[in-house]
Amino acid sequence: MQYDFETVGQALIAKLRGELDLHTSPQFKEQLAKIFTTRPQMKYLIMDVQHLQFIDSSGLGVILGRYRELEERGGRLFFVQANPHIKRVLQMSGFQKISEFAASTADVLKRVEGGHL
Amino acid sequence: MADTNWVKFEIPSDTRNVAFARTAVALFASQLDWTLDELEDIKVAVSEAVSNSVIHGYQLGEGIVRLEASYQDHKLTIVVEDYGQGIADIEQAQETGYTTIPEERMGLGFTFMHEYMDEVLVFSQVQKGTKVTMIKEVPRRPEG
Repeated sequence: MQYDFETVGQALIAKLRGELDLHTSPQFKEQLAKIFTTRPQMKYLIMDVQHLQFIDSSGLGVILGRYRELEERGGRLFFVQANPHIKRVLQMSGFQKISEFAASTADVLKRVEGGHL
Repeated sequence: MADTNWVKFEIPSDTRNVAFARTAVALFASQLDWTLDELEDIKVAVSEAVSNSVIHGYQLGEGIVRLEASYQDHKLTIVVEDYGQGIADIEQAQETGYTTIPEERMGLGFTFMHEYMDEVLVFSQVQKGTKVTMIKEVPRRPEG
């Protein structure tokens, strides 16, 4: 499991590559939590899941935890380029109700920076 | 005569082995005519069952998780068994959103298993262990 983080204004882009499960999620959770703590102004979390090959409830739990914090900040959660399988897992677990699926990170950033959210 | 095959293996209860277990079972299952999506579904179901054994059965401590996958014609059966602490209330454990660790878990493990497999049977005894049997049949597809 590999991940890269990039900050653009109030948005954090998390690019995931590999498999997010019981073994790989604790480290990802820790890294995300650290960024959330050091950047209280951060309001938008963009999960770039184009290269995410697998996710189960352990991985989803980590993202849900961050969503709760985003909610407290009045922020939003996005999933970008989810393949059909990942999208189905996200939909089944109720993420379509609390997040938005977008075609590209650029699209989301345009809306975030343009104040359309 | 029925077309049958099986595989059995044991793994130590270690988070690293969850990926091995789901990949190995999916590789075995791929002898049947699944779509790629269906194979991914099987992987998620196995991942959830094995994760449950590691987290809840053995509380992330030591233990053995036993896996068995077999098929007869188009019907795949997967058994995931642990000898851990067991589940006191099986019905409650299978409710969507029910979790004993609310700050970290979504309570979706059994929901995924039920969603992705045709049938899920849970047998558990407190302080003895849990056995989850999951069945999925290759759907009939139009020929051509």
